[in-house]
Amino acid sequence: MSAPGRPPHAGVDVHAPSAARARNGARWLVDALVAEGVDTLFGYPGGAIMPFYDALHGAPLRHVLVRHEQGAAFAANGYARASGRVGVCVATSGPGASNLVTGIADAMLDSVPLVVITGQVATTLMGTDAFQELDVFGMTMPMVKHSFLARRAEDLPRIVGEAFRIARSGRPGPVLIDLPKDVQVAAAGHLPAHARSPADAVPRPPDASLHEALALISQAQRPVVYGGGGIVLADAVADFRTFVDATQMPTVLTLKGLGALPSEHPLNLGMLGMHGSRAANTAVQECDVLVVVGARFDDRATGKLAEFAPQAHVVHMDFDASEIGKLRHADAGVRGDLRRTLAALTLPCAAHLHARHGAARRQWRAACRQRADAHAARYDAPGDAVHAPTLLRRLSALAPAAIVACDVGQHQMWVAQHWRFDDPRKHLTSGALGAMGFGLPAAIGAQLQDPRAQVICVSGDGSFLMNVQELATLRRYDLPVKIVLLDNQALGMVRQWQELFFERRYSEIDLSDNPDFVAIARAFGIEALHVERAADVDHALDALLAARGPALLHVAIDTAANVWPLVPPNHSNAQMLDADDVASLPLATPESATPPPEKPHALPA
Amino acid sequence: MRYQLDLTLRHAEGALARVLGATERRGFRPLSVDGEAQPDGDRWHLRITVEGDRGEQALEGQLAKLYDCLAVQVSPC
Repeated sequence: MSAPGRPPHAGVDVHAPSAARARNGARWLVDALVAEGVDTLFGYPGGAIMPFYDALHGAPLRHVLVRHEQGAAFAANGYARASGRVGVCVATSGPGASNLVTGIADAMLDSVPLVVITGQVATTLMGTDAFQELDVFGMTMPMVKHSFLARRAEDLPRIVGEAFRIARSGRPGPVLIDLPKDVQVAAAGHLPAHARSPADAVPRPPDASLHEALALISQAQRPVVYGGGGIVLADAVADFRTFVDATQMPTVLTLKGLGALPSEHPLNLGMLGMHGSRAANTAVQECDVLVVVGARFDDRATGKLAEFAPQAHVVHMDFDASEIGKLRHADAGVRGDLRRTLAALTLPCAAHLHARHGAARRQWRAACRQRADAHAARYDAPGDAVHAPTLLRRLSALAPAAIVACDVGQHQMWVAQHWRFDDPRKHLTSGALGAMGFGLPAAIGAQLQDPRAQVICVSGDGSFLMNVQELATLRRYDLPVKIVLLDNQALGMVRQWQELFFERRYSEIDLSDNPDFVAIARAFGIEALHVERAADVDHALDALLAARGPALLHVAIDTAANVWPLVPPNHSNAQMLDADDVASLPLATPESATPPPEKPHALPA
Repeated sequence: MRYQLDLTLRHAEGALARVLGATERRGFRPLSVDGEAQPDGDRWHLRITVEGDRGEQALEGQLAKLYDCLAVQVSPC
C-alpha cells in the first residue's frame, strides 16, 4: 500500500522532465504553477488538454486523478476552503469543461478561490463546431469572478499572474483559464518566468462610517451580532471573537459563519434562519441594533425579508461594498477591511458596556441566554432507532478537531445544528449553491491540503450517489477520510417539504431501492460498517474512527425524521415550527403564497 | 425607472458580454447600447440605457466588481 496522499505508482513512474523537450506553452504553465506555490491540482485528462498533461509528467506537482471532472472542481474547492489557499483543477474541452461547471458555480457563490484550467480546441478550429468544442468561456461567464481565453502563448504570463491574483484578492472566487491546444504547444522559451502577484491591498474602513457605526451601537439596548462567512474570508476570526467578548453582545451566525465563535461560547446563540435555533431567530427578531459582520442577508438566513429584524437599526460591515444595502437598508455601512473595522470598534463599543444602557443590556443578555438554555437541543430521543442529531453530537465530541465536509440535505442541517464548530475552515458545506455531491470530493481536497488532519464526510443517501465514483480516488491515494452515510432511503429534505407544504404528496423522493452501500464501499476496497440501532452507535463510531485508512459507516435512520425547528418558506423567522406544532399553523404552500407588500427597510431582491 | 450607464471597459474578449449579461441578470433591461473602442484599442467607452425597478446603486456596485470594468457611473435618465 502506498503512503497516504500518494498514488500507487508514485516513485515508480515519475521521471525528471526531459531537458530535450523544448519549453512550450504547456510547460511554461506547469512551471508557473510551481512558481506560484501550487502543490496539488485535481483533474482528468482528455484530448485538448493533452499537451498540459504531457508537461505535467515528472513535474514537481501532485496531480490528483479524480474519476469525474465534477469531483475535481469540488476537491479543489474543499482544498481551498480548508486551507485558505487557491485550489486548482484541470479538465479537457467540451464535456470535461462542462462537468466542472457545478463546482465552479459553487466556488463563485461561496467565495472560494479557484483557478480552473480547461483545454480548448485549437484557435483555428474554434467557432467551427469542432470535436469537443464548447464555449466554456461564454458558458461560465455568470459564475466566475473572471475568465481568460488565452489565444497566444505570449499572453500566458499576464493571464496566469492575474488569474491567481484575482482569485485570492478581496472577496475570493473562481477564475477560469481556457487554453487552446495550439497555445499549449506553441514555443514559449522566450517568455519570462512567472512572477507571483500579491493579493490586492484591502482598503481601510472610512473613519466617518466607523463613527456612524459606533453611534448606533452605543445607543443599543438590545444589540445582536450577526456574523457570516465573510469573517473567515477576511481572516478576521480572532478580531471577531475579541469584538464579541469585549462588547458582550449576543451573537448569531450563518451557516457559513459557524465556528467564527465557538459553539460553547456563552454569547453564541447558534445559527439563524430557516433551520436556525429558536434563541438565535428570536433574538434577531427582538433586537434594536443588528451588527452585521461579513454576512449578506441570504434568504435562508432572513426568512421573509420584510419581517426580518423588524425593530433593528442595521450596522453592516463588509469587504464587498455591493453587499451593503443590497437586500436590507444599512443605517450605517462600513466597507473595507473587517479586521481593521472590528479592531477600530472594539474598544469604543466596549466602553458603552456599562454606560447609560448597561443595565438594559445585561437584562437582554440574560434573556437571550435563558432562551438558549430553555430551547437547547435534546439528545434523549426514545426508541431503538438511530437518532441522527445524537449520533452527530457524539461524533463531534469524539473528533473535536475534525474537518467536516457535508453534502446537501437534512444531514447538512443536522451537522450545522449539532456539531460543535470552533473554526469556520473546519466546516465545508455547499452553502449558497446547495450542491448535492459536494461532500466526498470536498473531503478529499481537505485531506490532501493537510494529510495529518482528521477529515470526516457526512453525507446522505441521495447526495452520496452523485459522486460515489470518488471512492476510487479515496482508495487510490489511501486518504483516511471517514464517511458517515446517513441513509433514510429518501430524498429527505424534499420529502420533508412535501410532507409539510404539499399535503404529503410524495413525488419522486423514494430511494428504498438504494444499493447496498457497505458492499459498494468494499468493492472500492474501503472498509465499511453498518449500524441501525441507537445502542450500537458508540461502538460503531469508535470503530470508524479507529480505522487506519478510509472507512465508511452506513447508518440506517428513520425515513420520517425531519429537521427542526423550521421556518416555513415566505414566513417570518419568528414563526418557527417544531414537530409538535406543525398541525396548529396554517401553512402557505410555496406556490400559493402571495408576496406581501415590502416594508421600507427591505429592499426588493 | 430608466438609468444611463456610462462605462469604461478594457477592450478584452468577453468584456461587452460580461457587462450586458450582468446588467440583465441583476434585473435591468437594456434599451439602447452605444459605444466604440478607443483609437489605441485598449478601452471601450460604452453608454447603455436600461430600465428596471431595482436601485441603481446595486447595479453600479455589481458592475464595478467586474475585472474588465474600469469605471462605471449609473444615473437616472
